[in-house]
Amino acid sequence: MNKLKRFSLPYLILLLVFIAIPMITMIALSFMTTEGMHFSNAVFTFANFSRLTEISVIVGLWNSLKYATIATLACLAIGYPLAYIFSRSKNKNGFLITLLLVLPMWSNILLRTNALGYFFSANNMITGLLSQIGINWSIDIKGTGLSVVIGLIMVYLPFMILPIYTVLDKIDTSLYDASSDLGGDPIRTFKKVTIPLSLKGVTTGIILVFLPCFSGFAVPRIMGNEKIVMLGTIIEDNFIYMDYNFGSLISMLLIFAIVIALFVISKVDKEGETLL
Amino acid sequence: MAKKLIELVHVVKKYDGEAAVNNINLYINENEFITLLGPSGCGKTTTLRMIGGFETPDSGDIILDGVKINDVPPFRRPINTVFQRYALFPHLDVFGNVAYGLKNYHMKDPELTQKVTEALHMVNLDGFEKRKVDSLSGGQQQRVAIARATVIRPRILLLDEPLAALDLKLRQSMQYELKEMQKKLGITFIYVTHDQEEALTMSDTVVVMNKGVIQQIGHPRDIYNEPKNRFVCNFIGQSNIFDGVVLGDHKVKFCGATFEYQEEGFEKDEAVDVVIRPEDFDVVPSKTAPLTAKVLSVVFKGVHFEMVVDLGGKIVTVHDYEESKVGDTIGLHIDPYEIHLMKLSHEQAQTL
Repeated sequence: MNKLKRFSLPYLILLLVFIAIPMITMIALSFMTTEGMHFSNAVFTFANFSRLTEISVIVGLWNSLKYATIATLACLAIGYPLAYIFSRSKNKNGFLITLLLVLPMWSNILLRTNALGYFFSANNMITGLLSQIGINWSIDIKGTGLSVVIGLIMVYLPFMILPIYTVLDKIDTSLYDASSDLGGDPIRTFKKVTIPLSLKGVTTGIILVFLPCFSGFAVPRIMGNEKIVMLGTIIEDNFIYMDYNFGSLISMLLIFAIVIALFVISKVDKEGETLL
Repeated sequence: MAKKLIELVHVVKKYDGEAAVNNINLYINENEFITLLGPSGCGKTTTLRMIGGFETPDSGDIILDGVKINDVPPFRRPINTVFQRYALFPHLDVFGNVAYGLKNYHMKDPELTQKVTEALHMVNLDGFEKRKVDSLSGGQQQRVAIARATVIRPRILLLDEPLAALDLKLRQSMQYELKEMQKKLGITFIYVTHDQEEALTMSDTVVVMNKGVIQQIGHPRDIYNEPKNRFVCNFIGQSNIFDGVVLGDHKVKFCGATFEYQEEGFEKDEAVDVVIRPEDFDVVPSKTAPLTAKVLSVVFKGVHFEMVVDLGGKIVTVHDYEESKVGDTIGLHIDPYEIHLMKLSHEQAQTL
C-alpha cells in the first residue's frame, strides 16, 4: 500500500497543479470581479450570474445544443453503418481499420479544420483550378451552420466509430448463427441481436461526440468564420478580452452540466460498461 | 420401416483449396440418433454446419424430404442447432432466450409463455425464466440451449459437441438425458463429438470420419467389434493390430502362431491386419499357450488390470481380471470369435 502511494505521488502533484488549482481559481473567479488576473481589487459578487441571460449567451447555448445534437446524430448515422461493415467484413484487418480511424487524429485538429474551411470558402485552390478550365463553381458555405456541423462531423466521427466498432467486434458471431438458426432473418437478427448488444458502444460514442461538440470552440470558430456563436466561442472571447470572471462562470457551469450528465448515465448503466 | 429424412449426396466443401469434407454420402432416417465421430479437423463440424445451412457445399446436394435445400438459408430450415459454446443471447434472460425462436414465428401469449414453460420443464429448469444467462452454470446454460432449440419443434436437432465443456459426471448424466429427450421428442438428432464413448453410448448409428472422408457407418456395436480399417480400429477404443497372413481354411498366422478365425471374405495368402482388443486376450499358463509374453508393466484400472506386455518384440496391451507380476512370463490365448481381420488399405498394400 505504501509503495502504491509513493508511485501515485507524482500524479497527485500533477493533478493538483494542472487541474485542481486552475479549477479552484476558476470557481473563485466566477464569484468576483477582477481586473484580469489581478486579485488586489477583487470584489465578491454574484453580478456575473445576471449576465447569463444576455442574448449572446442564450443564442450560444441554443446553437451549441442544436449543432452538437445534429452533429452527434449525423455521426451516429454515418458511424454505425461504417462500424458495422468494418466488424462484419470477412477480411478482418483490425490494425488497418484502427489506423484508418486513428490516423486523422494524428494530424492537428486546427490544421484539418482550417483545410476544410478553406475548401468551403468562395475562393480557394480548387475553385482557382476549376475556373482555369472554365468552371465557376465553389461550395462557399463557410460561416454557416452547415459548415460548422460538417466540421464537427469530420473531427469527431472517429470517436463515434471506434466504441461502436469495439462492441460490435466483441459480439460472438455464433450469436448471429443462433439467431438465424432460430428463424430470424437478417433484418430481425439486426434488430434483436446486433442493436441491443451494441447499445453500450452507441452510448459511449454519443457521449464522446456530443460533449466536445457542445463545449468546443475551435471548430465553430474556424468553420463559423466568426459568424456563429456557440458556448465555446463565448468562453474564448471572454478570456481573450480579459473578462476572466464571466468566462470562468460559463466554463464552470458547462463542467457542472457535464459531470451531472455523466453521473446520471453511470447510475442508469449499472454495469458501468458505457464509459469504457 | 424407417423413413429417409435427410440425405447428403457427393457433398464436397473446400476451404482455400483444401477439402474439409470430401465427397460425403450419407442418409439419415426419421427419429434416428446419429453421431458424427472423428478427431478435430475431420470435417464433422463442417458437415453439421452444411446441414444447418451455415455453409454451402461446393458441390453435391443436401436433400431434405426429397427437396434440395443447398441454398435455403438457416432461418428457413426446419433444423435447429445446439451450439458448441451454447451461443445464448447475453442480453436476454432465460425466458427471452427460449422464446426467441417462437417469436420469430410470430407466436403470441398465452401460447408463447405456455410453450416456454413446457420447454423449461422438460430440461428441469422450472422457475428459471427470469434468471440472467450468465448467472447460470455450464450445465444449466446447456439445458437452456437445448430448450431454446427444441421448443420450435424442428425436424432435426444438430448438436455440436454440446457436452465438451461439462465435467465428467455431468457429461455422463447428460448423455442419458439427451437420449431420453430424443426418444420423447421424436426428433432426429445429429450429434457431433470426438469422444468415442459418448458416441457409442447414445447413438443408433455412428459415422466415423477422418480427413473429410467417411471411414465407416454402422451401429455402435459393429463399429466397435468390426472396425473396417486401422483408423476406425485405433480411434474407437484401445486395440492391438498385428500383420497377419491368411492360410486358408479359416486359419490366420500372426506373431509366429496360427489361429482359427470365423469371419468370411478373405483369400488364401492374403495379407491382413489382425485386430485383437485388449480384453479379448485370455491369460493362460504359458506352457499350453500359443503365445507367450513378458509383462512390462501392470496398472490397476478398477475393474481390471491393464498390462503392457512384450509379445515377441511387439508391445501389446492386455486386460485381465487377475494380477500378474512385472517380469512374469504369461501365456496368451485368443478365441476364434474374438479375432477380427481387416483388409489392407490401398496405401498399405502398395508399400508391401
